[in-house]
Amino acid sequence: MFVYTFNRLLALIPTLLAASILVFLFIHLIPGDPASILLGDTATPEEIAELTRAMGLDKPLWTQYFIWLSNVVQGDLGTSVFFREPVLAVIASGAETSILLACMTMMWIIVLGIPIGILAATRHGTWADQLASGGAMLFASVPTFWLGLYLILIFAVGLGWFPSSGFPSITDEGGVFNLRYLMLPSLTLAAPNAALIIRLVRASMLDVAREDHVRTARAKGLHPARVAIKHIFRNALIAVAAAFGFTFAALVSEAVVTETVFSLPGIGRLVVQSILRRDYPVIQGVILIIVIFYMLINLLVDLAYARLDPRVSLS
Amino acid sequence: MKLRNWAKTTVLAGAMTAIAGFAFAGGTLRYATVGEPPSLDQHVVTSDLATTIAHHIFEGLYTFDSTNSPVPLLASGEIVSEDGKTIVIALRDDVTFHNGQAMTSADVVASLNRWGKYGSRGGLLFGNVESVEASGPYEVTIRLSSPFGPWKNIMAFINGGPAIYPASVVEGAGKEPIAPENYIGTGPYKFEEWQANRHVELIRYDDYASPSGDADGYGGARVADFDTLEFIPVPDVGTRVAGLKAGDYDYAESIPGDLYADLEADSSVTTILNGGPIFGLVFMNSKDGPLKENFALRRAIQTAINKTPALQVAIGPKNLWRANGSFLPNGNVWYSESGTENFSKGDAAAARAMAKEAGYNGEPIKFMVSTNYPFHYDTAIVYTKQLAQAGFNIDLQVYDWATLIEKRAQPDQWDLFFTHHGFVPDPILISVMNDNYPGWWTTAEKAALKVRFTESSDPAERQAIWSEIQGLIYEQVPTMKTGDVYSYNIASPKLQGLGEATLIWPSFWNVSK
Repeated sequence: MFVYTFNRLLALIPTLLAASILVFLFIHLIPGDPASILLGDTATPEEIAELTRAMGLDKPLWTQYFIWLSNVVQGDLGTSVFFREPVLAVIASGAETSILLACMTMMWIIVLGIPIGILAATRHGTWADQLASGGAMLFASVPTFWLGLYLILIFAVGLGWFPSSGFPSITDEGGVFNLRYLMLPSLTLAAPNAALIIRLVRASMLDVAREDHVRTARAKGLHPARVAIKHIFRNALIAVAAAFGFTFAALVSEAVVTETVFSLPGIGRLVVQSILRRDYPVIQGVILIIVIFYMLINLLVDLAYARLDPRVSLS
Repeated sequence: MKLRNWAKTTVLAGAMTAIAGFAFAGGTLRYATVGEPPSLDQHVVTSDLATTIAHHIFEGLYTFDSTNSPVPLLASGEIVSEDGKTIVIALRDDVTFHNGQAMTSADVVASLNRWGKYGSRGGLLFGNVESVEASGPYEVTIRLSSPFGPWKNIMAFINGGPAIYPASVVEGAGKEPIAPENYIGTGPYKFEEWQANRHVELIRYDDYASPSGDADGYGGARVADFDTLEFIPVPDVGTRVAGLKAGDYDYAESIPGDLYADLEADSSVTTILNGGPIFGLVFMNSKDGPLKENFALRRAIQTAINKTPALQVAIGPKNLWRANGSFLPNGNVWYSESGTENFSKGDAAAARAMAKEAGYNGEPIKFMVSTNYPFHYDTAIVYTKQLAQAGFNIDLQVYDWATLIEKRAQPDQWDLFFTHHGFVPDPILISVMNDNYPGWWTTAEKAALKVRFTESSDPAERQAIWSEIQGLIYEQVPTMKTGDVYSYNIASPKLQGLGEATLIWPSFWNVSK
């Protein structure tokens, strides 16, 4: 397993290089430049050229890329054009929100998705199954911005139970109680993902339930709950584990709409705003870190396969 | 046991937090902004959002009263020589910076010089400045090469204006905006922190020396009642409105017109119009393409457009817009009807005939617009249709704002582009008066009128010359005004002292809750 893990980590390097070249080219080839945006309407072409030179953006693209790459290797992702702070610090401030939001969302997905999925599978064809499947279909279809705004109207404006938006750091005044700011966003983000997990758990369990070893377990007279959990759910979990992995990775990078509706200072919103501002160092830094994150999650999922399914060999 | 103690501590901490929050309730004003400003450095940044925050931190020598007339702020008065070329400004001697250092003429000279050299609007004045000297510890002398009528208006306009920093901050600063750790001003609130995407926080400056006199516009006494001003980026308008209703925010800006009627009728919300309207501008390319020097063709385009339907579509409620052709609104000293008979003719047949006479043969006219500002795009859609009805072949090019900014600097990339302009207290500050602004309107007629306009110090004469310039704009059509737009904000009814409308930007001195 150690050799496998080491090899997989080694394989990160060419993938990261390829991703960084693509991102670098993509962001530098679209029109718009940070100097014009920063200096505003009244800047003269000379002033824009001067600031462009000061930021090193007048150099050939490949020179800029190698300067950036050599700095990244030394752990320096550069300085944000917009915030004038190290990119790592800007990303770190967004990462706290995104990671906590992703964790809370995963909690909801697990708490809601797995039990309801199991219930739908074990009560296949009954009203409980139809209710669970119908509900899952509904929440998978509802746009997150719509759901988010309605949760705000009901739970923040109407009932006053939760704050409507924003997220003060848990290191600020309020401490862990600030997590209440993430309650409505995490539910919003969890709804479509939990719906997918419900459908996946249900479908996987129904597949496994038709296999011979399950029939044998039932024939042996095992308790239906034991059959459902130990013989069906555990085998169905292999497919669900992969979905969990990718859902978690996606939650960090794809929460843009939820972060916008709830004004959360997360990574998704940061990357979109940075694209609009042409804040090249932040865009490159964020995407590099997201790529690393995706690959690590992918690795963890593969390692989890081996743990869940003895037939899988990592060698 | 340990678990029980932990639980007790947690509950106690929660209770203390709640009590602390209650004890300081009313001490913080939470303002929901549409986004984050590029910087708060007032010398170089002209974003209205930046000024909304920054004018609580930074002050200039002058500001505006409620009639938009310049009044002293950090200055105590001035003497202008008879020939209008020497201005001696006396400074208040009781002003300190947020770092505790006293403000003297050295700081003012350094700030004016940096603004004059690198500031967004400084070049307008400093094109005529021969020298700025400290003629005493609290006195500054400005020598001009020729009289410059709008000097005080320009100095009073803090947006892209001459904010006064400590000399130590500005002496080494160039065109690049000053960094947040050097946001040291003299205003009633001082900069505390800027957390990316979370907030910009200002705290009360306890040693603030207020100007004397009754509060009037931005002039007169300034009292900071809040302990903290928090400017929080809330990009989604639904969240800004819901957050204000839920009590999470005290003030929220840039609310769309289609919510106006509902919010006006809602007792849990106060609507506040922005007193200075913004106005859309469609610039025409004077450097390249079919519109270059073809004033007749430009007039044909102007004749084709009826501005009212576009304002109805793009803005909505009638009291949020005026189909006003004067570049400054009715009631303002610069209001003029010169040329405005051509503002909104909407005569397709006449436009078609004029275009033919101007030699137009149906070649594509590239019209750039951005979807970042919905009212730009909505207006451009209506105009494109009206122009097509008059026989114009409009190639509507839709970009994000960053791309549009880059493309408009390249004369071969466009013929028309849509932008908007904030309210300014003196027409010299309108972008079309700037020869370098994309569009590059630099005709001899404009140059002659501009010299007369800037050299005159007589208000009545300057108003008359501005009327001539506005008439020339309608004749040569370097840009088309699209009408006045009164944006509005919403506030908690608990806020006291806001008034019914802002002068230009919202201000929170002399405001409490």
